[in-house]
Parts: sequence; structure tokens; C-alpha cells
Amino acid sequence: MLKEYFKVAIKSLRARRLRSWLTILGVVIGVFLIVSLMSLSEGIKTAIMQQLKMMGKDLIMIFPGEITDMATMMGGGLELTENDMGAIKKAEGVETIVPLNYKAEAIRHEGRVKTILINGVSWKDGMDILKNDFGWSLKEGDWPAIGKKEIIVGSAVPTDVFPGMMVGDEAVINGRKFIVSGILKSLGNKQDDSTVTVDLDIFKDITGEKRGAKFVLARVKNGYEVDEVVENIKRNLLETRKRVRGLDSPSFSVLSSEKVMDIVGSILGMIQIAIFGFASIAIVVGGVGIMNTMYTSVRERTKEIGIMKAIGAKNSAINTIFLIESGFFGLFGGLGGMVLGLGLAKAVEFAVKTTGGLYLQASITPQLIIFSLGFSFLVGCISGFLPARQASKLKPVDALRYE
Amino acid sequence: MPETVIKLENVWKIYQLGKIDLPVLSGVSLEVKLGSFVTIMGPSGSGKSTLMYLIGLLDVPTKGKVYLDGKDVSNFSENMLAKIRGQKIGFVFQQFNLLPNLTALENVMMPMIFQGMPENERQERAKKLLASFDMEKRSHHKPNELSGGEQQRVAIARSLANDPEIIVADEPTGNLDSGTGKIIMDALTKLHKEQKKTIIVVTHDPTIADYSENIVHIRDGQIIKNHFQEAKVLW
Ligand SMILES: Nc1ncnc2c1ncn2[C@@H]1O[C@H](COP(=O)(O)OP(=O)(O)O)[C@@H](O)[C@H]1O
Ligand SMILES: [Mg+2]
Repeated sequence: MLKEYFKVAIKSLRARRLRSWLTILGVVIGVFLIVSLMSLSEGIKTAIMQQLKMMGKDLIMIFPGEITDMATMMGGGLELTENDMGAIKKAEGVETIVPLNYKAEAIRHEGRVKTILINGVSWKDGMDILKNDFGWSLKEGDWPAIGKKEIIVGSAVPTDVFPGMMVGDEAVINGRKFIVSGILKSLGNKQDDSTVTVDLDIFKDITGEKRGAKFVLARVKNGYEVDEVVENIKRNLLETRKRVRGLDSPSFSVLSSEKVMDIVGSILGMIQIAIFGFASIAIVVGGVGIMNTMYTSVRERTKEIGIMKAIGAKNSAINTIFLIESGFFGLFGGLGGMVLGLGLAKAVEFAVKTTGGLYLQASITPQLIIFSLGFSFLVGCISGFLPARQASKLKPVDALRYE
Repeated sequence: MPETVIKLENVWKIYQLGKIDLPVLSGVSLEVKLGSFVTIMGPSGSGKSTLMYLIGLLDVPTKGKVYLDGKDVSNFSENMLAKIRGQKIGFVFQQFNLLPNLTALENVMMPMIFQGMPENERQERAKKLLASFDMEKRSHHKPNELSGGEQQRVAIARSLANDPEIIVADEPTGNLDSGTGKIIMDALTKLHKEQKKTIIVVTHDPTIADYSENIVHIRDGQIIKNHFQEAKVLW
């Protein structure tokens, strides 16, 4: 009989078309938010994690500042000194260290001047790590020769920053001439692709930042535990700082590549939970809308309920009909929200792809689809529970006499 | 002597309006025999509808007993009552009371759906019923596309959906002109004559009461006269 009750329910929804659509719209908005935001944030997470995964497990990153203090870390005011680097190098289990530095500088190419980020990396020690652990590879040209005034540029530089730039071109930074020796393949995001990289010695020369680094990479020697070496580096750094500056606050962070992945993963996870929470609230608000509509409907159809009872409807039949209606609101709203949400996610994916930025793929999983439909259907049923119960419990005479 | 299908025994219906007790039925006793045609007459507000709801098991008395086939209905569960209403009793109302979103055919099928009759069976039966009231051409119309007389014919067809023993009609012609009313009353008397249905009809129209063999007069919630007039029956 469920099929018949379903037909009856749909007919009464169609009799109140506008209200039904508005109620469904309330659910659509919530599900739309969940689906679009979740699939995009999951896509962003995947893109970032994929980049991080390229790093070898034997790498350790040393940053100035506390990892918990993102603002100062990213703001870049802090630096690791030459002494710090010495301490890192001397730590037991460290094979090589690669200091990295960066600074925004004005670059001139064929008359145009743009300010872009310049990375300084020690070619001698760092080239292998960049190639093997950070996935750097050349699209055109060659890696720069050590000691020559050569630079390599990110893949977006010849397309977006200096359109038409080619290998062999001349670029001027702070009055010094350089030759573009190579163009990199994409590194996975627009920001990194829009940078220029030079040898650390040249970097120091052109920026005037002779000492220190924003960031040091250390590679673990074979046969050492990564976590052990992390502790060794921390200990060395702490001792050095105490000795040199009399500081005992460890304003640096030493992280293994796995730890970095964990941290980034959990930060992104937390963002997702927050998004999910807010979007879920939107669905619940949609549920309140369903409840409101259902109560109105029960009141309006009191007489109909009485008629159905007079011609043999059991309470359970009335209950079922009303639950189908509210469940339908939920499910149909969920379906609509999902279609719109996936549409938006795909549109954003496309827009990001064409304008650059992060190379992101909206993540559309069966779980997300099943969850959003299931959750909205459930919200619909729960919202309809009390109104349907009220309808089924109406006394036949009272309902029939209701005008 | 035919058996009694419905029996009311000193039935009271009292509504509470604030602190005042308002008795709408005051000690009504009534027996309806199987296959009889009973007319209930009385002025507006005298409690006729209230009485009909009790007879039709749509309401329970404040005091007193209602028996169906000799069984005290106060022992029945809500589900049992719903089932009995669906199977044994057919209702016809003054306001027709068709479900507004359903077509005539769907309205007639509704009671069969509640009894779980298979689709093709109920479709066939509903069509036959509508045809027997000359309504087959209107079977896909909704109530608001039908005249009052047409709606009432659909309602009578619906009341017969599960082939009930008893038809309870509360002022079935009250909203119709006399010509249309006659068609409806003819239909009810035909059911009584040809199918031996027990028919209980409320009206305050004396010409309609002339169809009946048992007239119950009610005033202020009490039966003031209950007479059997076999001689005057018109068929
Ligand atoms: N739920 C109720 N609460 C209070 N009074 C009611 C209720 N239902 C009916 N009544 C009263 O009972 C009286 C009889 O009503 P009813 O049985 O409909 O009369 P009739 O059908 O003879 O016109 C009326 O005065 C009506 O106002
Ligand atoms: Mg009445």
C-alpha cells in the first residue's frame, strides 16, 4: 500500500505547489552548502597532501618560530641564523642541510617590471632535494650551472608574469643581469609557479640578506631514525641559542616531513569539520522549515484526515502519508542541493583550472552523495515525525467537524 | 425477526464548554435492524449528526453503550474501529466530503486501498460503481470540477466501495436542489431494495422521510418519537 500512500502524498504536495517548492528550497540550500563545500575542501586537501607526499620521509624541516604561531612564521620576521645552521649541521644523524630563503624583488624583462618572489637555494646541496623530494623538473632548458648568473623560473612566469619569456632571455634583478636557464614544470599551485629561483650565494648578493635563512631542510643519514634526529637537532639548537643569546625559549620548530603532513592534514581536517558543522546547521534549519510546513498542512487538511478515517484509514496510514510527504521534502531537497552543489564544485574546479591557482579537483565521492541524500531524508523524516503523529492521533469526529 | 446490527443503550454525549456541561445527546436508546431503512428527523442542532457519528463508530459516547452485532464497541481498539468503519459502514455526508486532490475514481478507490485490495481489482470495482451511478464519464474529474449532485453520487459510490452492510447518510440532500436530491434518495432506496443494505439517513425533509419504514424524531438530544410506518412506504 506504500505505493498508494506515496501517490496520495505527492498529490497533496502538488496541490500546494509554491509552499512545497519553498520548503524544498530550504533543504536545497543546506545540502548545496554541504556538497559544494565538502567536495571542494576535500579536493583542496587532496591537492595539498599530494604535494606534500612527494617529500622524502628522511627530510626534516626547521623553521624559526613556533608552529602554533602561524602569523609570525608566515610573516617572515623571524630567521634562522648562521649559528643555528651550524648547530643543525652538527646534530647527530644529519647528512646535509639546505638553507632556503626568499624575498620579493622587482624583476625587469624586456622593459616590463614586476615584483615577484625570489627563492634562494644552495644549488650544491639543494638541487637533489628539490628534484627528488619536491618534484621539481624542467619543462625547457637546463638547470643553472653553479657560479653562473643564471636563474630558473616557475611555469607560470613565462605565461602570466612575463608573457613570452623564453629560455636564454635576459632578466634584471636589482641592476644585475641574469640569463633564464630553464623553465620548470608546474609545482602544483600557482603561487609556487610564479617564483624565480637562484643559487643562495647569488640571492644573498642581490637581496643584501647575507646571513640566515627562512627555512632549513636537513636530510637524515642512512641508519638513523628520523624522530631521533629531530630530537638531536632540537637539542643542539637549544644549546646554541642559550650559549649565544642567553635565550631559553625555543622559538624554532623542527618537524619531520611526516609530522608536517600530519599537521597540515589535521588543520585541513578541522576546517572541514567546521564547514561541515555549519552546513549541517543549514540542513537542520531546512528541517525546521519542513516541520513548519507539515504542521500547517496538518491543520489545513484536518477535515481530509477526518474523511480518510471515516472511510477506514488506520492511524498508521495517516502517519505514513504525512511522513512520506516530509521525507519527500528532505530527499527531494537533498537531491536538488546535491545537483546544484556538484554543479558549483565543478564550476569552481573549472574556473580555478582556467585562471590558475591551485590545481584542484572537486572530490565527489559516493559517500558524500549517499550521506547528503541520507541525511536530508532523515532530517525530513524527523521533522515530519511530530506533525504526522499529531495528524494520526486526531479524533475522527473532531477532524470531520473541523472547518 | 431480523437481527439487530446497531444498538444504542442510554447513550449520552456531553461536551464541556468551560465549566458548563453541554449535553448534546441525553439518554438516547435506539436499535437498528439488519436491512432496515431508518430516517432520523429533527431540527438543526438537535444532535442528529452527533448521533450519526456514534452509530458510524466515528465517536464514542460520554455515557452509555454502543453495540455492533451485539458487541460493545468500547472494547475495540482504534485500529479495529478503523477497520470496521472501512469494511462494514459506508458514509455519505451533507458536504460530500470527497478528497479534493483526488479524481472521482481515486476517491472511490480510497476505501479499498485502506483495506489492502489489489490495484486491478479495486480499479475495476470503482469503475463499476461509478458506472452504476452514471458517473463513468466523470471518473477522471476532481471534486471541484463536479456539480453537487455529481459529487454526492461519487460519494455514494465511495460509500459502497467495500460493500458495507450499513450506509450512514447525514443529510445527503441538504446541499442539493430538490430534483438532484431526489436522484440521490432514489439511489439510496435502490440500495436498500435491491442490495438489502441497512440504511440510516438523517434529514429534516418530510418528503424524504416518506421513503422510510422507521422514523426517529429527535429534539434537544432526546428521541421524542420512534415509529414504524410500513403502510406509507412508497415502493
Ligand atoms: N465538539 C463540540 N463541542 C461543543 N459542542 C458541540 C460539539 N459538536 C457539536 N456540538 C453541539 O452539539 C449540538 C448538536 O450538534 P449536531 O449533532 O451537529 O446537530 P444537528 O446535526 O442535529 O444539526 C449543537 O448545538 C452543536 O453546537
Ligand atoms: Mg448535522
